[in-house]
Amino acid sequence: MTKLNYSCLFLLFFVGLSHSLGAASEKSVVDEIKNAEDRFDNRSVPLVEQVVDEAVLAKEEYQGGSFRVLARKAKIERYKCSSCHTDKPVTAQQGALLTHGDIILKHGSEDQGLSCIDCHHPQDRDYLEDKKGRKIDFDHSYQLCGQCHFRQKRDWLGGAHGKRVVNWAGERTVYNCTTCHNPHSPRFEKRFPATYSVELD
Amino acid sequence: MSSKKIKNEEIRAASLLEKKSTRRNFLKGLSIAAAAGSAALTTGCIPAADAASTEELKLRWQEFFKKNYRLMTQEEKDATVARLERLSKLNANLDVQMGSYPPLDGVLYGYAFNITRCEGFMECVTACVKENNLDRKTNTQYIRIFEMEPGQLDPSTGDGQYYHEVPVDNKFYMGTQCFHCEKAPCTKACPTKATWKEPDGIVVVDYDWCIGCRYCQAACPYYGRRFNWGKPEIPKEEVTRRQHYLGNRIRPMGKMEKCTFCIQRTRKGRLPACVEACPTGARVFGNLLDPESEIRYVLKHKKVFRMKEELGTDPKFWYFID
Repeated sequence: MTKLNYSCLFLLFFVGLSHSLGAASEKSVVDEIKNAEDRFDNRSVPLVEQVVDEAVLAKEEYQGGSFRVLARKAKIERYKCSSCHTDKPVTAQQGALLTHGDIILKHGSEDQGLSCIDCHHPQDRDYLEDKKGRKIDFDHSYQLCGQCHFRQKRDWLGGAHGKRVVNWAGERTVYNCTTCHNPHSPRFEKRFPATYSVELD
Repeated sequence: MSSKKIKNEEIRAASLLEKKSTRRNFLKGLSIAAAAGSAALTTGCIPAADAASTEELKLRWQEFFKKNYRLMTQEEKDATVARLERLSKLNANLDVQMGSYPPLDGVLYGYAFNITRCEGFMECVTACVKENNLDRKTNTQYIRIFEMEPGQLDPSTGDGQYYHEVPVDNKFYMGTQCFHCEKAPCTKACPTKATWKEPDGIVVVDYDWCIGCRYCQAACPYYGRRFNWGKPEIPKEEVTRRQHYLGNRIRPMGKMEKCTFCIQRTRKGRLPACVEACPTGARVFGNLLDPESEIRYVLKHKKVFRMKEELGTDPKFWYFID
């Protein structure tokens, strides 16, 4: 009788063992990803397409070290601002229309939205200014945006907000805040989709 | 993925496919003899002006008897690519640059889709159609965007055929495409081994080995595959010339096709067309094996989920929320 019991136990043990082995072979890709801790050299990938837009080295770091952001100043039509905004007061006919009349400011809540000097430097118009009074370059506007939108900035640094330019490999170059968002009216406008879908066969 | 694993997979693939090679070789030998015979016959009665069609015939003949892509040596791959380029020139007067470049070492591609950010503009869809030379006549699309009610996470409950101003308040948008499952059920269903998972995780189709039985389409729980009922029609000036054998080359009639993570781009370090086109940055693509990549950041710091995870298909496509 005991012999039978022992053999039963042995059999149970064997079945259990084979089950656990079976479970081990059912490894998910998630485990493989978690175990991949070696750094991958992104620059080892030969690239066919280079980033052509002007980019500058960011003043912050992401998990892989330094990275680049798309430059902004070259895209501002009438930069430098100080070519008009000098110490001397200027009186011009239809001044508002000729200068910044096209800007619709829709940033912040409806009743108490932001005004120009909330972001622009009140004296030195070639720069932005944050709430601590630091001068901020137009190319590094993420430093300014991030003081309110810190969650977005955190995600942007990591790579969950915004996106890389052209390549997933190679040196990391990402879109700046103002590449996608109009800083004066940052929400995307409603519009018709680019195409439509038909039923699947 | 380790090189040993890759090697093993190659050997397995070879042993699976090599069984039929004796019959194939026999037919091939027969065909060459027949081709030689018919060429000898035709040279006598067809004038030299038809030399192009003779060349086309010869190329098509050689194409018909080529091996499965996974069994080809690099020389054979180069040869078939050269033939396909030449055939494209002869048939459609199209100068294409086709490649057969292999997967990169230490790379496993993964994708993440931000359902908070997507606003349903569908620019990804148009970019994909253009990049991958999809049939314009039937409006074939690899990507579907669904307009979803809040709280729902199953795209079958959403509206996949919306056409109005987006985003609509209190709706969210969810994109689907091929999820490149690690345990892809479609590859198991294929009777001719014409579809498989590459070492970099991309599930591909050898269009010339596909017999168009559509078993894979039935096996896919995500509606990720598309079938060419006719020959794809693409305006000549819109054809993407930079192609890959397993990617966006123009499919023949009666073949399965699907998203390949833009294999012709991603193996050269470039982002897929959908990611590059997305105006809201809802799409994240990268190397899952690189701890510093964006996709790894998303997986580590965001709330992620995969569609129909309970099926055990292990897709490499995650949805996440901000």
